[in-house]
Amino acid sequence: MSNAQLEIQVIASLVAIACAIPGTFLVLRKMAMISDAISHSILPGIVIGFFITQDLNSPLLILLAAITGIITVVLVEYIQKTGLVKEDTAIGLVFPVLFSIGVIMIAKNANDVHLDVDAVLLGELAFTPFDRLIISGADVGPKSMWIIGSILIITIGLLIAFFKELKVSTFDAGLSASLGFSPAVIHYGLMTVSSVTTVGAFDAVGAILVVALIIAPAATAYLLTNNLKRMLLYAICFGVFSAISGYWLAHVLDASISGSITTMLGLLFFMVYLFAPNKGVIAVMYREKQQRTEVSLLTFLLHLKNHTEESERHVNHLNEHINWQKVRSKTVLDLALKNNMIQFDKNIVSLTEKGDEFTSKAIDYIITNKDAQIEHMKDDFFLFRG
Amino acid sequence: MDITEYIKLVFTDYTLRTITMGTAILGAVTGMLGSFAVLRKQSLLGDAISHAALPGIAIAFLITGTKDTNVLLLGALISGLLGTFWIRGIISKTHLKSDTALGLILSLFFGFGMLLLTFIQKQPNANQAGLDKYLFGQAATLVESDVWLMAIVTGICLFVLLLFWKEFKILLFDADYTKTLGFNTNFIDVLITSFIVLAIVLGLQTVGVVLMSAMLLAPAAAARQWTDSLGIMVFLAAVFGAFSGVFGTAISATQNNLSTGPVIVIVAGVFVLVSFVFSPSRGLLFKQIRFIKNRRDLQLHNTLAFMFRIAETHENISHPHAIKILNNFQGFTKGTLQKLVRKNYVKLDGSMWSLTEEGFKIASNLYNQQSDNNE
Repeated sequence: MSNAQLEIQVIASLVAIACAIPGTFLVLRKMAMISDAISHSILPGIVIGFFITQDLNSPLLILLAAITGIITVVLVEYIQKTGLVKEDTAIGLVFPVLFSIGVIMIAKNANDVHLDVDAVLLGELAFTPFDRLIISGADVGPKSMWIIGSILIITIGLLIAFFKELKVSTFDAGLSASLGFSPAVIHYGLMTVSSVTTVGAFDAVGAILVVALIIAPAATAYLLTNNLKRMLLYAICFGVFSAISGYWLAHVLDASISGSITTMLGLLFFMVYLFAPNKGVIAVMYREKQQRTEVSLLTFLLHLKNHTEESERHVNHLNEHINWQKVRSKTVLDLALKNNMIQFDKNIVSLTEKGDEFTSKAIDYIITNKDAQIEHMKDDFFLFRG
Repeated sequence: MDITEYIKLVFTDYTLRTITMGTAILGAVTGMLGSFAVLRKQSLLGDAISHAALPGIAIAFLITGTKDTNVLLLGALISGLLGTFWIRGIISKTHLKSDTALGLILSLFFGFGMLLLTFIQKQPNANQAGLDKYLFGQAATLVESDVWLMAIVTGICLFVLLLFWKEFKILLFDADYTKTLGFNTNFIDVLITSFIVLAIVLGLQTVGVVLMSAMLLAPAAAARQWTDSLGIMVFLAAVFGAFSGVFGTAISATQNNLSTGPVIVIVAGVFVLVSFVFSPSRGLLFKQIRFIKNRRDLQLHNTLAFMFRIAETHENISHPHAIKILNNFQGFTKGTLQKLVRKNYVKLDGSMWSLTEEGFKIASNLYNQQSDNNE
């Protein structure tokens, strides 16, 4: 592994961490799409900054672009406040227009500007090691590394300093306002950090990957945990893992690094989406199926309890009366038998003592809706859990 | 080039005519379907779908090896639909919210698409150049058959829209009620979403994935300001969309180095801005005017009420009082006094004023109402 390769991976990882931190809060605050809007609408800011400074890495350019990002947020909120359109429409209107202005500004000056839209959209991680930062003659590493590194340090500093405030205002805006933290200050603080991160990262990885790195790790982590600190940690790990594995994928395929990092993020999300222990699709489907069986079982038991006459309790009759398909009635019967709740007597089904007791309790629960009565039943059944 | 010359050119020049027709039809169909997206609060869905279509284009090219527009757009359609249904899956199966789902699918699909595009570029196949025109669109590559395709799809959209008009409308405004009426809401929902995807995919070639969402939203958002009726809104949105296309094409054709897509988006943005400001019932301008007018009316009433309270203490209601005593009262200005005179509520005599019979009657009504409200 050459020095340049190492540097690229370090830069990608730094970007991933710097994005994951504001990303976690954006996802929790249901503002994920704002990051998409910011990443597009910083384009005019970047172009104007580039006209002035002629250097994509200049701090002034980052500042100008970050200001454009904040203007976007303010504009979206202003349009939303007029009540003329909904919030999502406001976002969808503002950023394409700003982005178009940026594209046209680039196109009109295409001849004398070394800046093209593809680069803005995609970035080129592979070139970042060539732009060195030289302090008094000594080569101290790629410029991007220093830029994103300083942004990351500031972000982490702010995160540690304002963790409590962020947490409270994210989960309970009303409480945080009553405790005296201004939600507006925290909101715009977060927006500023997101803008600055987006601008700092876009040069290396492009506008679209920034969005992916902000949203995807946080969303993936959110499927695995409900604890904020753990979610932050997981998001950072996912980001860094995708950054490094994405780099090697690109190396093998000889394709865009940012594209492969995004693809890795996508694969990671897809796996977690399917297999997450509690919130994954498979877990949810399994739980729903269990619950369906249990509801059927309960209906079945209630039916038995309500009918003393034998004709109502004949196996054949049950099938047509409750109108279940064969397979399901078999699962339900098996479940009931396994739990010793019913007994057969010449094809006549009747409740056992345990089944009778259970059914009474269940009715009681349904009527009173008090949790205390079903505490011990929870172990056997999904239905009564939470 | 002046306008008449340009219009003449539109009718004679093949390329310009094709592009103008294409963008106009595109604007109309996206405006039409965009109305539903906006009203269903799915505005950003368009953004997600257009980005999600990119890998489809790349995969279609990888499989077939041709750059035939129809094949590539079919790929885009499939991948756009895939993205849309995954978004629905994420929202319904997990606790992630819609904004997260949209952002996820948007960026992940787009990133994967870019991976494929860069991968294709490295392939030893000379045919691959120009796939990246789908990023920003190139209206100049439109040919007559593309325009025909657009026209046919627009026709189908219109037909289905009219056929299911009642269902679409009722689903839009009261989904639960629709379900109780026995309509298959899932089917209607899928139908309309599929048409939105179709419209977006059609626009990719002209406007490109990045800006397509604005084509969907802007005409609809502009039309929303002028009416509260769905039918008129859909029609207006189609008109706005078509005009954005025509004007955008005209501006970009008469200038150097202006790509059509961004110009169309900016023109559509201007439509939105104008509608936001100048719409008679909802617009910001008239809202402000109404606000100022209401404030003035209130001031007028205040002054009148104050005068009434003074006049009340005298036997003769027309007993003159000095204007000076009004000065310490907030609602009073020279203008309001003049207005009262003009309405014949008040008589002026040098520096004195007096209430007229009519003014007294109005004011006493006003005053009684006010005190009624206070109790």
